Amino acid sequence: MYQYQPIDQLLVDQRVAQFRDQTRRFLNGQLSEDDFRTLRLQNGLYIQRHAPMLRIAIPYGMLASRQLRTLAHIARKWDRGYGHFSTRQNMQFNWPRLEDVPDILAELAKVQMHSIQTSGNDIRNTTTDQFAGVAPDEIVNPLVWCELIRQWSTFHPEFAFLPRKFKIAVSGAVTDRAAVGVHDIGLQAVEQDGEIGFRVWVGGGLGRTPIVGQLINPYVPWQHLLTYLQAILRVYNLHGRRDNKFKARIKILVKELTPQVFGEEVEREWKQIKGGPETLTAEQVQAIADRFTVTPYAADPGPDTSAQHAGNDPRFARWLRRNTHHHKVPGYAAVTLSLKRTGVPPGDITADQMDAVADLADRYSFGEMRVTHEQNVVFADVARSQLHALWKELDKLGLATPNVGLLTNIIACPGGDFCALANAVSIPVAEAIQRRFDDLDYLYEIGELDLNISGCINSCGHHHVGHIGILGVDKAGEEWYQVTLGGRQSGAAKPLPDIESTRGGGAAIGRVIGPSFAREEVADVVANLVETYLDLRDSDAERFIDVVERVGIDPFKTRVYAERKQAKAVAEAAHV
Amino acid sequence: MSDPRHPANLIRHRKLEVDTWQRFEPTEARALPPQDGNWLVPLSVWQSAQAQLRERTQPVGVLLAPDDDPSELAEDGRIRPEGLALIAVDFPIYTDGRGYSIAYLLRTRLGWTGELRAVGDVMIDTVYYQARSGFDSFAVKPGHDPHEALRALGTFTAAYQKSYPVPETAV
Repeated sequence: MYQYQPIDQLLVDQRVAQFRDQTRRFLNGQLSEDDFRTLRLQNGLYIQRHAPMLRIAIPYGMLASRQLRTLAHIARKWDRGYGHFSTRQNMQFNWPRLEDVPDILAELAKVQMHSIQTSGNDIRNTTTDQFAGVAPDEIVNPLVWCELIRQWSTFHPEFAFLPRKFKIAVSGAVTDRAAVGVHDIGLQAVEQDGEIGFRVWVGGGLGRTPIVGQLINPYVPWQHLLTYLQAILRVYNLHGRRDNKFKARIKILVKELTPQVFGEEVEREWKQIKGGPETLTAEQVQAIADRFTVTPYAADPGPDTSAQHAGNDPRFARWLRRNTHHHKVPGYAAVTLSLKRTGVPPGDITADQMDAVADLADRYSFGEMRVTHEQNVVFADVARSQLHALWKELDKLGLATPNVGLLTNIIACPGGDFCALANAVSIPVAEAIQRRFDDLDYLYEIGELDLNISGCINSCGHHHVGHIGILGVDKAGEEWYQVTLGGRQSGAAKPLPDIESTRGGGAAIGRVIGPSFAREEVADVVANLVETYLDLRDSDAERFIDVVERVGIDPFKTRVYAERKQAKAVAEAAHV
Repeated sequence: MSDPRHPANLIRHRKLEVDTWQRFEPTEARALPPQDGNWLVPLSVWQSAQAQLRERTQPVGVLLAPDDDPSELAEDGRIRPEGLALIAVDFPIYTDGRGYSIAYLLRTRLGWTGELRAVGDVMIDTVYYQARSGFDSFAVKPGHDPHEALRALGTFTAAYQKSYPVPETAV
């Protein structure tokens, strides 16, 4: 966990004072709605369907137990006793009052937290691998680089009013778990002649125009990372479109110029500043690395009894298989706490759960945790000897659903129940699907499957990169759902050299299977897609996404629409 | 002493002044501003009559729009300061951030050390970033208290980015 230096605290405190003053002026009528809008968005404050929504930054997903306790306190005091983890590793509160927000920010500042640049057309929270620092396949710890980018991008004077929002993801491991291919900038650490550098993909993103990022530089030496980012941002700030909100993301500029021409523009700009004041030194990088606490792993973390317990308890065995992950330190594991229990909106967590999770983090994982883009929580450093004890505690809290990587681990935005932008609800659809697949044996039979739901084309639920994606659309004032197949956020287990250089991180955008469906049809459609897969797969080693890649979407499409026709005929016959 | 018709809304040298500058918006090609008065001329006017304009007893300023290329002001990569009172950059709406990059380029690449003014939708809430990007004067828009804008130059007293100055605390 990064520990604030005096400058970090000073800036966060000064931000609270600035926003307090802006809110006061707005409430007094000295600041117009138009003038206030972007200022509040730069503090993560939206005006939503029922009340403002406040998005709190969890930089690169790292959260300490004392910070989670503060979030619990805020949820109780100023909200309705719960919060929501978003797909950007942040936390959202859906019910604060505008006049309370300055006090909420002051409370956050006490535990080194803030809501800076969690919205608005600026550089947003940099995201990374939820197993950063503990993954066995790591080339470099991305957290240090994320923190350097966080500092560089915080209150960046030149890039606070970009054409559109801007998201950076960093992967430090061989396997990309940060979805670098679907970010405005994706950085993948690579080693060349013993020196660390970054592959740079630009112009990936979801939303209205989903595109996989393009490689514009195969190796930027670490010393020059910030000047290279500065060059990209300057080209974008000056030349990105501002006439049309829907064409303002960097991906449109990259597409219109072509990745090659865009890369040349960046190169030209970079030449002017490369080696300049923002060039990093080994001392600077080390100084940031030194601000991260060193996890005091036990030399002897105790005997690993998990296999033994698994033999006696099939419920624990399932959880062990799905929700624990390899660790670079012998005797340790990373553990995913699933926030995807059926009946609970994906990513939602109550204040009482937050307090309980904070206590468990203290007892089992050195007081730290990570929020994942799949809207779960990871304890990164659990002794394997403690896994069974931890599981029992999580089970009591309803946080041990053994569904990580499986169909019911649904990513979903808050949707039309909360969000003013949404065309359709997401949460009830997620719940209907979870209920349909409540048989764990069947769920395990299906195996790995990412199912993502967005309530509108802004794609906060990342439906484009779900193996099955579901998108809420509005047709003449009614909610409908479009289904896509074959999306994926990265190349999963493929080693780096095999990734096609033009396909950032191996990501792919799903394809629409056909006309959209009514809400009550969606769970049936998913069931039909899954049955088609089970019929077509070679063996249970061939995952859903592998089958889609092998046979294409047609067999799925044919089956789904044939079943639909038949269901309709049956329904009509029943009415005769 | 403030006259409501001419508010002291211009921050310059860390003090408030009445803004006596006007935008020259020619309706016909080749027109030039009157000899009297403080005029900001568009880049196109400056480019077509630069030699003549540099000779004025009351020098003009150039007003850059967000889509102007500031390097067009330069000769051999540098902007000659003779006879040019100031460069102003227009913010038609405060969320158009191109002016920040333009200011950075004028200061760091095109050698402009003279006055650099932010005009247009300039708010209490933008002057800090504008100052860091290289502006040293600010025509604060109506409805925003210029005294508060002056104080806002000290909103943050430290910064992470090394290639942009931190404005000294104004008050």
